Amino acid sequence: MAPVRSLLVLLTLCAVARNGAAQPQEAGWVSYREAYRAMVTFAKYGKAKNFLQNHYQVTPKDAGQSLDGLRLTLTGRTTQLNLPLDATGRTVLPLLKAAYDENAMLVLNRNASLFTFQPRLSIVARVDGIYEGQDLRTACDQALQYMRYTDTSYASRQCKGVRFAFMPKSDAAVRIRDPEREVTLVPEPGPAFDGEANTGFRVMTYRFADWAERIHVISQNAPVAIAPVIE
Amino acid sequence: MCSPGKTYVRYLVLALAGTCSTVYAQTPAINPMPDGSRDMFIGLGVQAAPRYDGAADRRTSALPVLQVQWSNGIFVSGMSAGMHLSALPTVEYGPLLALAPGRDASGNRLFRLSSAGDNGAGDSPPTTWLPPLETPVSSAPRDEAPPEVIGPGNNRLDGMQPIARRLLAGGFANLYLGRQWRLTGTVLYGAGNARRGLRSHIAVQHVAQDFAPHHSITLAGGVSVVNGAYSAAYFGVTEFEAGHTMNAAYRPGGGVQDVRASLRWNWALSPALMLSTGVQATRLLGDARRSPLVERATGLSAGSALAYRF
Repeated sequence: MAPVRSLLVLLTLCAVARNGAAQPQEAGWVSYREAYRAMVTFAKYGKAKNFLQNHYQVTPKDAGQSLDGLRLTLTGRTTQLNLPLDATGRTVLPLLKAAYDENAMLVLNRNASLFTFQPRLSIVARVDGIYEGQDLRTACDQALQYMRYTDTSYASRQCKGVRFAFMPKSDAAVRIRDPEREVTLVPEPGPAFDGEANTGFRVMTYRFADWAERIHVISQNAPVAIAPVIE
Repeated sequence: MCSPGKTYVRYLVLALAGTCSTVYAQTPAINPMPDGSRDMFIGLGVQAAPRYDGAADRRTSALPVLQVQWSNGIFVSGMSAGMHLSALPTVEYGPLLALAPGRDASGNRLFRLSSAGDNGAGDSPPTTWLPPLETPVSSAPRDEAPPEVIGPGNNRLDGMQPIARRLLAGGFANLYLGRQWRLTGTVLYGAGNARRGLRSHIAVQHVAQDFAPHHSITLAGGVSVVNGAYSAAYFGVTEFEAGHTMNAAYRPGGGVQDVRASLRWNWALSPALMLSTGVQATRLLGDARRSPLVERATGLSAGSALAYRF
């Protein structure tokens, strides 16, 4: 019985410690060290990544959970930093030695169990909205190479295209222009990134197999996100 | 994470503190923390484990926890220390040193120290993942007889030559197969009084982290392979010992020593507090199982500890 008693005492101590922690009611937290560890790999990645960007993303687990009013704050002994989230829940996570050393936390103003926290790779949007087809192929390939670098399960997957996501009520259009014609991609509702619960974005997918390499992809409206399509 | 021995805790901490001035000199390509930083867990818990490998009876003891990783790749994890040399995020490998417990008539000398977070298998190498606990080795029953009470007349270790604590040297390697699976392996040499014992442990691990925030569960299954010297040291009975103990002479060979299954649950109560709890079942096989020292071929051990991260 001694081990059982000892375990019960430990669990009680843990519950007391947890309840005593200075956290806002209903707020959730994530260890900054874990977030740092997840994000620093891209920062130190030495191969081609000029078309890519990596964000820290807070994603609802179910579609009913809105991102409206969601706030993420980096909180440490000497650090207090608001991290604004975009429409997909992404933010730029600063890699700060001071915050790491003081074991800071990322505080969410909602229950953390309703969300997932992860790095999110995407393609950098161009200011002029005009993309060379070859550049988008290269961007997708850069993303695939990085994913293979970090996760061996990507070894057998291939780049299939690029997906532009816009806000649900947007009237944005993405056009493909080659020397002979100009075609507007068909919009459909869907997630900005694969596997997300929020499938309400207006998305248009440029599939490489459907077009010649030497084309231009034109998006006059700034997309919420440009995601590589890897299948 | 887990094991007693305050003297050794101090020894390890001081020994590594002494190396800190050189720690920041070389940073691995995949340094998971800022240059010059470290990630440390220190804690205390309790564990119940067989008195020695193959014993029918268990004993409960305190379990100090120590796990430290420095930005240059050097780490201390429980009773082992090593260095990450890999430049790839999907592979980890490097040299490993470990302290092997001694054994006398009372059983294993309890100076073990646990790590704070990683895998579930007791012999798996430390990783850069969430800190784990190391569950102590246990053994299991060859029959369903109730545990014997240790007394002067029925302790199979009475009269056996004590096994000295040893510093083992070898290496570790982890291969990540996707985000939730990995293969782990260690090889360590130098166990036993003759310092020629070699032991290798290979395991498969599955890590589940997404089911609830701040909780992770690691399931592991592995197999240990030893050489003849290791087996002779821990499971053999010499002619001399046979004449002075209740055990018949026994000379085991090398080979597969045991298979293990373990489960570890880590609960992060806050960024600075973690509760790590684990259970492990070990089944002795082959020559080890047939040793006269083995009262139970299958054993269970369990431990839980609270660790502070700073």
